[in-house]
Amino acid sequence: MKTSRPVAASLAVAGYIVMIVPILFVVATAFTGGRSLRFPPEGFSLRWFEAAFAYSPFVSALVSSLELALLATLLALAIGVPVTLAIHRGRLPGKGIVEGLFLSPLIVPELVVGLALYQQLIIGLRLDNFPVLLIGHTVLMLPYAVRVTGASLALADPSVEEAARGLGASPIRAFFSVTLPLLRPGIFSAGLLSFVTSFNNVPLSLLLQSREFRTLPVTMLDYVQQSYDPMVAATSTIILAGTVVVAVIAERTVGFARIFGGINR
Amino acid sequence: MTTAAEFVGVTQRFGDFTAVDDIDLAIPTGQLTTLLGPSGCGKTTSLRMLAGYTQPTAGRIMIAGTDATRMPPEKRGLGMVFQSYALFPHMSVAENVGYGLKLRKVPTAERTRRVAEALDLVGLGHLAASRPKKLSGGQQQRVALARAIAITPTLLLLDEPLSNLDARLRVQMRAEIRRIQAETGLTVVLVTHDQDEALEMSDRMVLMRAGKIMQEGAPVDVFSAPANRFVAEFLGYENFLTAADSSLLTVRPEHLALGSAPAAGGLHLDGVVADVAYRGVDRLVTVETVDAQGTTVRLVADVRDDEVTARPGERVTVSASDSRLIRLAA
Repeated sequence: MKTSRPVAASLAVAGYIVMIVPILFVVATAFTGGRSLRFPPEGFSLRWFEAAFAYSPFVSALVSSLELALLATLLALAIGVPVTLAIHRGRLPGKGIVEGLFLSPLIVPELVVGLALYQQLIIGLRLDNFPVLLIGHTVLMLPYAVRVTGASLALADPSVEEAARGLGASPIRAFFSVTLPLLRPGIFSAGLLSFVTSFNNVPLSLLLQSREFRTLPVTMLDYVQQSYDPMVAATSTIILAGTVVVAVIAERTVGFARIFGGINR
Repeated sequence: MTTAAEFVGVTQRFGDFTAVDDIDLAIPTGQLTTLLGPSGCGKTTSLRMLAGYTQPTAGRIMIAGTDATRMPPEKRGLGMVFQSYALFPHMSVAENVGYGLKLRKVPTAERTRRVAEALDLVGLGHLAASRPKKLSGGQQQRVALARAIAITPTLLLLDEPLSNLDARLRVQMRAEIRRIQAETGLTVVLVTHDQDEALEMSDRMVLMRAGKIMQEGAPVDVFSAPANRFVAEFLGYENFLTAADSSLLTVRPEHLALGSAPAAGGLHLDGVVADVAYRGVDRLVTVETVDAQGTTVRLVADVRDDEVTARPGERVTVSASDSRLIRLAA
């Protein structure tokens, strides 16, 4: 690699090694023919993948996790995008306070949020676990929805909307025909980040789960505490593969530069 | 002369700042009116009030004889070209131009025809299918113009339309906009800070400063008789001196003569040549002299006669006939 910044380049390479190499170990051990989670793997087989797909707690937890992540993402966008518009384009008094409020879940420890929800909603109001989990995850994702769509909105030229109005579009028409299409990469990336955050979340899910509704990371954590076989590595590999597929789709449809460009610029 | 739009006692305040201060202005139908002035003079705010993007704090805006003060922009039927062009990046050039017609539910066949007409008018028929991002700044500008014209607006509003173009293209587009205005017969309001642009393009120019109108009229009338020192300076006058009756005078460099025989009346001042700038067709000779009030002033004479000698340090007489002297309000 030719570069004029040797320090930055070395750091980047070191970063990649630190991030990727442990994952490669997990992937390699998932294909082992042996019975224990050990490197190097003993032989090659797909038996632990078969085992993972046959293990019903994992399968149902995967469905639960996907369900929760999808619903929470949609909710967070449904709340976050209008809030972002109000913050950036509306004549809202105390914009800074509102934005701070919606970004605060980034700073407040998740365990505190989880405990508060547990106390107030599950114990206090005797709500079901699922709606409370959904509320918790949605709250957790609001900062992404507000921040990432906000970044792409801040970059968009406000006179584009004015141009649409001038040409005869009502405010609603201008929003749907011009503003929303311009925000699409921002909303897409907010959704992607939210989905991944929810899917990976442990602290909230751990506190708010029920016997009937458990998410995949929590189930895997439970499983690892009891038995130490390569089925967890196989499950992790499946999730990794799913993530790669999502990433490739994102790159092909919108492009990483446009998805994350809103944050970097 | 009929009036396409009118400002009646219009004021616009943003907090403590008065952007437009109680102006009255009529925009004549079928003409190109320029709002000219330095930044912060209220010209863009005036245009935005006319378009409906901001509402005046006080006063009324009349469009085609009806009170449009509280009318939202989409009901005004005006075409606006923004400084940033504000094209819709997710639509093709043709879709951009057809956007307003689609909203007006113009049938597809007629829409296609009118989009093609508007694009032909700005010479971009061949780029109908392109995305705005692929176009040069000058081409984007033309698309924005075509998009505004396609809806056959009652008024065409241009907000510093040429300021993002390079110098050569800017001069070309002046003539281009004039041609389009003549072909369509549209009433145009153009905002600019460039006095050359205003002088060259306007039927009528309105000079603004600090939210007030300083002077308005045909370019030739405003240029030959600036009302006050601000207008004169903004239009490029640089020779200012005080007369014996303590009124302020200005005179154009090409109307100052060096060393000519004193005629009756007019201006005669003895001075010293401070600087000579040779420019091929002419020389700009700066003469340091003292005006009737005893103040030292520098006057620039535009000398085209090769016979006239002027070297730095030489004593000369500057003169101008009385008819060339312009009296200014303070």
